[in-house]
Amino acid sequence: MNETAAAVRPSRWKEIWEIALRNKLTLTGFIIVGLVVLVGLLAPVLAPYDPNLMDIPARLQGPSSAHPFGTDEMGRDILSRVMYGARISIAVGVIIVAVSAAIGVVLGSLSGYFGGKIDQAVMAVTDMILAFPSMVLALALTAAMGPGLLNTMLAVIIVRIPMYTRLMRGQVLVQKEQQYVRAARTFGEKPFWIVARHIVPNCLTPLMVQMTLGIGDAILIASSMSFIGLGAQPPTPEWGAMISTARVYAIDQWWYAAFPGLSILITIMGFNLIGDGIRDILDPRSRK
Amino acid sequence: MEPILSIRHLSLSLPVKKGMVSILHDVSLDVAPGQILGLVGESGSGKSMTAFAVTRLLPGGGREKIGGSIRFCGEELTEKSEKEMQAIRGRDISMIFQEPMTCLNPVFTIGRQMTDVLMTHQKISRSEAMKKAEDMLTSVHIRQAADVLRCYPYELSGGMRQRVMIGIALSCRPKLLIADEPTTALDVTVQAKILYLVREACRRLGTAVIFISHDLGVISQICDNVAVMYSGHIVESGAAADVFSQPEHPYTRALMAAVPKFTVSAAAGDKLFAIPGIVPDPSEPMAGCRFAPRCPYATEICRTRPPADTVTGSGHLVYCHNWETAVSSAGNAWGKGDEA
Amino acid sequence: MSALLEIENLTKTFRTRGFFGKVKEVHALNGVSLTIHKGESIGIVGESGCGKSTLANLIVRLEEPTSGTIRLDGKDITHLKEEELRPLRRRIQIVFQDPYSSLSPRMTIGQIVAEPMRVLGGHSEAEIRERAETLLHMVGLQPGALARYPHEFSGGQRQRISIARALMTEPEILILDEPTSALDVSVQAQVLNILTDLREKLHLTYLFISHNLAVVKYISDQTVVMRRGEVVEMGPSDRILTAPSEKYTRELIEAVPMIGKPFRLLEDPAESL
Repeated sequence: MNETAAAVRPSRWKEIWEIALRNKLTLTGFIIVGLVVLVGLLAPVLAPYDPNLMDIPARLQGPSSAHPFGTDEMGRDILSRVMYGARISIAVGVIIVAVSAAIGVVLGSLSGYFGGKIDQAVMAVTDMILAFPSMVLALALTAAMGPGLLNTMLAVIIVRIPMYTRLMRGQVLVQKEQQYVRAARTFGEKPFWIVARHIVPNCLTPLMVQMTLGIGDAILIASSMSFIGLGAQPPTPEWGAMISTARVYAIDQWWYAAFPGLSILITIMGFNLIGDGIRDILDPRSRK
Repeated sequence: MEPILSIRHLSLSLPVKKGMVSILHDVSLDVAPGQILGLVGESGSGKSMTAFAVTRLLPGGGREKIGGSIRFCGEELTEKSEKEMQAIRGRDISMIFQEPMTCLNPVFTIGRQMTDVLMTHQKISRSEAMKKAEDMLTSVHIRQAADVLRCYPYELSGGMRQRVMIGIALSCRPKLLIADEPTTALDVTVQAKILYLVREACRRLGTAVIFISHDLGVISQICDNVAVMYSGHIVESGAAADVFSQPEHPYTRALMAAVPKFTVSAAAGDKLFAIPGIVPDPSEPMAGCRFAPRCPYATEICRTRPPADTVTGSGHLVYCHNWETAVSSAGNAWGKGDEA
Repeated sequence: MSALLEIENLTKTFRTRGFFGKVKEVHALNGVSLTIHKGESIGIVGESGCGKSTLANLIVRLEEPTSGTIRLDGKDITHLKEEELRPLRRRIQIVFQDPYSSLSPRMTIGQIVAEPMRVLGGHSEAEIRERAETLLHMVGLQPGALARYPHEFSGGQRQRISIARALMTEPEILILDEPTSALDVSVQAQVLNILTDLREKLHLTYLFISHNLAVVKYISDQTVVMRRGEVVEMGPSDRILTAPSEKYTRELIEAVPMIGKPFRLLEDPAESL
């Protein structure tokens, strides 16, 4: 028959870039997240002051050319603190999602592919965790383990695992019945490879969407925990912790709470915009 | 007999990501009361779209463009508003589809669904409606109609569900029934019964029927007239008996030669005819005949001018510049299996 | 001629549990026996629910039989463990009906076609690639197809890719489970012609499953008619079609719509629950 040989195809990254360009909102998401990550990485270079440098005489000053975001009650530069805060927030979000998704994917795959006793056990625990409101459970866990950023992250990870387990299990149950998975079984492919080579790649799209949105959520939960005083402890320049301290000054010194708050808002919005557009990018069918 | 539906030079464009794509070109058809018109073609031929254009159930979100004329019972459908079309769809034109399950609500019994419709349209009581529904099912040869009314859709076989749908479709005595691949998902023995049912209903009630199928055998058996479609065009049309006994368009001939028959077998050295090349993309503009790139009889004129309708010796219409060459070189270009 | 694949008294019963724990048994396959000789092309025809696909799934062990035996070259393979079965899987391959879901959308055609040989092991990348190119050529596709993804191909082309994949391990028996049912007639003709050529060139044995009698007649020397999990009748395809001995076979043949066949007036068009 008359297929023409495949034309020279552009590289995958170029294709991804082209798809991202087509969707303005997704592109905005990428730009926001890119900037936040860049600011976080380059904080030592970009920040005008040491984030912990106190300057009591200059305390609680409004935005000025010397301190564009103003200063806090210890006279520390809020702009510098917000920049360093980006580091913490991004790292917290990424680590929480990476660890919880990795564990969730393994548990969900096992549960969905093998079924039976494994499935019952995994789903029993999953349902139990999901039965609690996630914020309340994270709170209780952190309280039990003791306040601190690391414990908060651990708690949020535990709360988040079931979401990925659920998602993955559902996907695996669908993929398992697809003809290409059945075909792989007739070649004698081992179960591990069937899951790794055939099932997981085909579940990636919803997983990546969930993960991108999850980073935003994780940042929000971690900040909230810091805000209540269970997460990052002062003087760590964590956004949630900063807002927590700023509560007292919220009425007279608006800039203190406003800039860290805005940072949280913008960062989460960036991840959510990417999450909405990522489906198109990951689907091979949307490429030409 | 005077046709009840008369389509002339129908064209249809649907909106896509960039601009519009022409789906139908210059389609002309007539359907008379009590007659079955078969629309036959492969996927992408536009056979279903023709029916959707008539009922205006189009996937264009209102941005589709219909050209030409569709006259139904003396009225011009292309000029009707969406609201007027809605009234016509329920009352005068009924449709049945390949998968009847999707048209039935899984959580209500068949009886409940049928009586709900009857009660809203005819303002009668539940028990009267139930009696009517039972008659309706009996008329499509369902035994134990009362029991079927108590069933949920999933409890019925595919054939039974299609019978129920036909019963519902005919309940308002429509003037036109459009059947879009109604037997494709069914077993052959069940299909035979459904075909019988459609034909009988058409004759008994005088309903005009447009029967859409990819199966040449089905079309040849139940249709009075047939139109063969290819890439949004009609390529050949006329009385089914004429078209199938003396196909004159190269595409019709090729299609017939591709169908496996009881008389051919690979072991005896028979080859099925496989049409070279692929169906052109609807968005691909083509100056001449859309079958030309795959046609062995194509000449210069085929590539430059679209063929007009020509009445052939056997009295049906063929849209081909070179049909006479194709017919006279019978079987040579299309190989064996043509004569069956 | 010695038997390549022998199926004896094969039975598959599905048990489903109802809402109140009531166990319902469905006999998908009920004591089916069948002998396939090397080089034969056997067609299995029947309506939905007759057990033809269950039979295919049991032979390639996608499902476990309830009872009965499957012998390959005289060796009982019915209850082999997956490890023992693995080397034998190479010899029996299957092509499924749905050209859309039988190829993983995330893999290139090259990766998809290479799969069976990669799983089998013992072949270099170059060997696998060469064989993939040869087979793609045999099913009428260009080598450029290897770098492309399934969604870039039509249904007929995908089905040819599935056939090429099934032939990678040089199987002796190819099971074709409704391979052309989802295709247009002109495309079906292409695929059937390719299958006929391949059988001749590679000396394959076919088990061709279809609901379409004419297709089965075209492709196979022997025809087996099945109904409700049992074999109704079997014999040379010509004989089954011209002189069927069972009433059901006659009904089935009678019901197939054919060009030029007059419309049949049914004695009893009614259907009951």
